[in-house]
Parts: sequence; C-alpha cells; structure tokens
Amino acid sequence: MSGQTKLFGDKAFDLLKELERSSQTIPAFDDDGVRQVLEEIKAIFEENVAQASSYNASGDRSLWPLLNFRHAALQRNKRCLLAYLYERCKRIKALRWEFGPIIPGDIKQSLCEPEVHFFNNYSKSLAAYMCSAGYNQGLPIDLTNNLRPPKSLYIEVRCMEDYGKFELDDGEVIHLKKNSQHYLPRAQVESLVRQGILHHIA
Amino acid sequence: MFVQDLRNDFYRQLVGKRILIVVNYDIDAICASRILQALFKYDHMLYTVVPIMGVTGLKRAYGEHQGDVKFVVLVNCGGCVDIVELLQPAEDVTFFICDSHRPLDVCNIYSDRQVCILGDASLEENIPAFETIFYDSEGEEDDEEGESSDQEQQNNDSGAGESDQEDQAPRGHKLSRLERHEQRILKQRARRQWESERDRIMFEYTQFSYYGRSAALLVFELAWKLSKDNMDLLWWAIVGITEQLLLGKIESGSYTLELEQIQSHVSRLTNKTNDQNTMSASKICFENDLHLVLYRHWPVTESMRYSRYASCQLKLWTLRGEKRLHELLLEMGLPLVHARQTYGAMDLVLRKEFYSMVERLAEKYDIPDIVYGTFTLSYGYRSRYAAADYVYALLAIMESVKKHKTPEDCFLEASDALSRQHKHLLSAGIDQAKLLHAAVFRQVQSSLEARQVHSAGSFFYYVLQEEHAFFSYPYALGLLARFLLRGHVATSRARQAPDLPLIASCPLDAAQGMCLLVGIAPVREDSPRNFFGKAFEQAAQKSGVALLQDFFEPAVVQLRQSDLTRFLDALTVLLT
Repeated sequence: MSGQTKLFGDKAFDLLKELERSSQTIPAFDDDGVRQVLEEIKAIFEENVAQASSYNASGDRSLWPLLNFRHAALQRNKRCLLAYLYERCKRIKALRWEFGPIIPGDIKQSLCEPEVHFFNNYSKSLAAYMCSAGYNQGLPIDLTNNLRPPKSLYIEVRCMEDYGKFELDDGEVIHLKKNSQHYLPRAQVESLVRQGILHHIA
Repeated sequence: MFVQDLRNDFYRQLVGKRILIVVNYDIDAICASRILQALFKYDHMLYTVVPIMGVTGLKRAYGEHQGDVKFVVLVNCGGCVDIVELLQPAEDVTFFICDSHRPLDVCNIYSDRQVCILGDASLEENIPAFETIFYDSEGEEDDEEGESSDQEQQNNDSGAGESDQEDQAPRGHKLSRLERHEQRILKQRARRQWESERDRIMFEYTQFSYYGRSAALLVFELAWKLSKDNMDLLWWAIVGITEQLLLGKIESGSYTLELEQIQSHVSRLTNKTNDQNTMSASKICFENDLHLVLYRHWPVTESMRYSRYASCQLKLWTLRGEKRLHELLLEMGLPLVHARQTYGAMDLVLRKEFYSMVERLAEKYDIPDIVYGTFTLSYGYRSRYAAADYVYALLAIMESVKKHKTPEDCFLEASDALSRQHKHLLSAGIDQAKLLHAAVFRQVQSSLEARQVHSAGSFFYYVLQEEHAFFSYPYALGLLARFLLRGHVATSRARQAPDLPLIASCPLDAAQGMCLLVGIAPVREDSPRNFFGKAFEQAAQKSGVALLQDFFEPAVVQLRQSDLTRFLDALTVLLT
C-alpha cells in the first residue's frame, strides 16, 4: 500500500510531460495513459469511500489525514487530466488557424474521435464568425491570413519545387519554377508558403 | 541601343511593371542583381529572378516566362549574342542588357527599340559604324524591282508595243542593257568589296573578348542617382568590382580610377549614416591591402603559399622557395609560431604591424605588386572582411556543386551569403575557398614537378586526365590555369614564355565524355583581352570539331574528349 501511495499522481504527471516534450505538432492521443489515470482515480475514490463508510460506523478520527491526502491526490489527478485535454484542445485550435479547415492526414491519425468532432465544430464556428465579421463588406474575411501583422505588402520568396503557372489577382501570370526567386504580394502567396512550395527569404 | 540616362530611360520605364531578371553565374552579376532587387523592392515592383548558365539556359529561362513578362533585364549575359535572333521575342517585349562582357553584339547595339544596353556609348571602343556593317537592304530591293520592271518592259516590247516607241525603244534599250549589265557587275564588285571589308571590320571587332565596367557598379550608380543607395548596396558594388580585379577582368589602371569614385561614395555614405551602435553599424574603409588569399582567416604561411602572386614570385612550391619564405618571415620579425597559426590568433602587435612589415620588404623580395588598394567591411565586434574575402568565398560557394546540390542551389546560396544576416554561409564559403586554393596549389606543384605543361609553339597547353572534384568547373579551372601559367613562366627558361598563352582542359563528365577548355591570356598581357574566343571558333571550323560555346565567357568552351587532340592541332596551325 505504501509503495502505491508514493506513486500517486505520477502517471498523470508523465502524461503532461510527454505532451510537453513531444516535438510533433500534436502527439497521438495517449489512450492508455488516460485510462490508467482514470483507473487510479477510481481506485483512490473507492478506497476513500470504503474508509469513509467505516469511519461513519466507527467514528475513528485517526484516518482523517489519510482521507484528506487521498482526496488531494484525486483532485490533482483530475487537474492533470483536464490540463492534458485543454492543451490538446489549444493545439487543435492552432491547427485550424495554421492549416485551414482540412486536417492533414498524418495529423488526423493522432487525434481521437471526440477531438476530431471538436475540431469540426470549432472550424464551423470560426467560419460562421468570419462570415459575420465581413458582413458589412458583403464578403467574408479570411481571418486566418496574416496571423501576424505583415511588415510589408510584398515578400521575397524562393521556389522550392516546380509548381507551374500561378495567376495573381490582377491577372499577372507567374511561372513558379524550382530555384527561381520572386517578389510577390504577401496575401496571395501566403498559402503557398505554408504548403512549402515557396520559401520566404528573410 | 545604348541607354545612358539610367534613371529616366531604364528605371522609370520599369516602375510598376513586372520584370524578369536573368542573372548569369558570376559574382559581379549576383551583386548587380542584388542591388537591382533592392531597388525594385523599394518600389514594390514584382520581379522574378532566374539564374542561368550559358546560352541554352538563357533560351530556356526566357521560353518559360515568355508571354507573361514584357520587360526582361539581363545581368551579365546576352550582350554578346543577338538577342532578337536568339530568343525570337514578341514585338512588345523589351530587353535591358547590363553586361560587362565585350565586345557587344552589333545587332544589339543597333537595335532601335527592343534591345537596350545600359551604359555609356562613348566608353565603348571602336564599335563599327552602322553603314560599314549593315547593307541597306531597301536599296537592293529597288535594284531588283528595277530589274523586274526592266523585264516587264522587255515583255511589253516584244509584245504589241505602241508604234512611236518601237523605233526608239530597242536602241535605247540595247544601250541601257549593256550599261545596266556593266552597272550590275560594278555593283556586285562593290558589294563584294564591301562584304570583305565588313568581314574584316567584324573580325577586328570581335577578335578579342574583354570586359567592360562592372555591372554591379553600373547598377549602384543608378541607385545613387535615385537616392536609394546605402552601405549594403555599396558593399555589393565593391564586391562586384573586386571580382573583376581578382579574376583579371579589369586593367589595374581603370581599377584605380574606379577606386577613387567608390571612395567618394564611401565617405558620403559614412557621413550620412550616423549609426553609433557598434553591433549594428557597418563600416566600409578604404585601405591598402595585400594580395594574399584570405590571410585574415588563415595562417600567414599558408596564405602566402596559396596566393598566386606571392607564390609564383617566390616559387614557393620548391624547396628553395620554402627557404626564401622563411627568410622573409625572419626579416619581417614574425616568429614561426605566430606565422603558423590563424591570423586572428596572432599577437595583436604583430597583427597590427603585419601589413607594414610586408610592404617594407616587398621590393627586396621582388613582390612589389602585392600591395593594392581595396575596401574592408567591418560590423559587430568580430566581423571584418576584405572585399577579396567575399569574392573568394562566393566563388567557392558557386563551385561547390555536389550530387544533392544543383548549380542553382549554389547560386542562391552565394546570393544569400552576400547579406549580413547569413554570416554562417559566408564563413562556410571561406572554409571551402581555403580547400579550393590548397587544391589549386597542390595541383600546380605536382604538375610543374611532373612537367605537364607542354608547349605547342605558340601556346602552352595543359590537360588534366581525370575528373576532379574542384577543377571541373569553369572558375576553378581558370584559377588553376592562371596559377599554372604564372608558375610555369616563373620556372621556365624560355625567353618568350611570358608572351605565350595557356590552354587548360579538364574532363567534365566521364559518362558523356565531354571536357572543359579554358584559354588564359599571356602573363605579360596586362589588359584583360583574350583572343581565345574567336580562335576556338575558327579552329573548330577548320578541324570540324563540334564545339559547345555555351558559356558567356567566350574563352571557356566544352568539347568531346576524343576531339581534343584534333582540336589542339588545328589551334596550333591557326596560331602559328
């Protein structure tokens, strides 16, 4: 029993550490870890319930501190789990801003079912908001452009792969070929930069 | 057509347009294009930069962008070929050529609208006059028309002519026919004469290939006239002209003249920018420096050994040369311990005195030309580079083609290394340059010891038998050839040796059996004139060898390895 109490909360903490340390955009949902933490919580709770009922019967106050301690551990596990989920939600939200309404396949694999659901809902509300934000102009505003205020309207980009012709809003046709360098309006090429076809030269 | 007023006739024309910038693979071109890009950025003009290598590259690059762009700027390429004929552009496309290669193609010079050459027509030498090289084709047509109407008349005559003309016409006709015949022959003779005269003039004009003003400097002056110049742009211009000096593309006289102008730019800009912060401020200073490769980043002994000038004067590849070097160091008072470690780690006192020590002894050791005026750029606390350091580093980067690294990658890397934010690229380039120069020296040493430089009577030739990681590229082979020629002349006893040029060849691609051929002007020749471009062409014609004159440097060609002997024989016949 004493050996186990030492490990109270360790699993939950590991879960968070893993998430923070991973270098991926979003690591795979740790089903196993979450389940283990939940089991731990359940076990603690059951022990507490058992002792509480025995206390009710006997009125022995000597178990009070232990009861409190277990309760604190339980609370902490719960907080850790919530933090884990919240952090993942935050990252999923960031995904929407970075990659647009469609999640790339490899990232989708690391999301669990409710998370995908959350993403879709989030995406939907964002789209609804963007439509309403641009209502006065009659056009929806794409808020995901220009996440940071741009320093200049144009950027210098280098083409990383053969893309072919690319038409700008004003009808200019740019031939994007590997290893050529261009100076183009930021707003129109930002998506290409995100896709990795163009590389922004600082 | 020459465009002299760059601000109005070149830049103002381009404002607000979309521009294609085609850049040749050389440092001067890179610098010029960087300056142009900076200018275009100020005015938010869309541009596309495409690096190209050779004429086929130019054709391909233009073909890809054809139809989309109306204004093309060619940097250090295209001046020597007939652009209109080569690219077959649409009527509304305008080319601006900023090329330091000479001689310029006459069709480009006399193009009335489509091709504009940036530069001053009065600075160009002996351009043939329009009448002497272009025949007035309209006159010819008239002539033919005359003939045809003449025939018509004849037909009329033989047919039912009018009665009163019938008596006079045949007589007058006979007379005039004889006269006409005579006239025609005279005309033909005149034409032939004119043609041979034109061929002579054209030959004289195109015989030597040489270089004009640095493109980077030309573009910088445009920036200055637009009041958009700053320290960075000036530094790029300096790097451009230093490349010309180091690769022997400019006479030392005109270099000195340019120096004065640059100096005034330097002092003007230094006064204008009063950035007091040591970390961010960049400072360009004019100073006398030594013709030693990268000596600020290398031990002194190494640098001396691997520099062409010092090494050849002191014959440092021999044992005696080595002794002489030690003698020099001794007399300079530079301890060997210090001379053998990196310059930056040398004692501060020695470092400060190094220049004056070398200068003092230059006369005695017969290396008077080791001193030259140049500029250094310093920024931050540690970074201090001479313009030559930049040039050598960029050269090494451009030639660092590997399997996973295409020439275009190298070009872009070199272009990046120019800006101050990418210092690591530059220092990597300096390290590569060290390897390159060490390799050149070792090759020279072994070739001279094995006596691999052969004389063909009117020129020397040197053939590398195997593909080489360094020398399969034009600039590196050029460096090697120049070093080798100087070294050979220094050791050779023959009196006419300094007057003979050298041809060096290196296999390019074992699979295709092609090799690279570089012609180097004689040591005694101070001007950057090189007659090999024309000579190669004629020798190829005579021997029937397929020659690939794809590079914009006419003295660098490619041909089949198997044709090499035949070609050299033809060249020997031609040049004797």
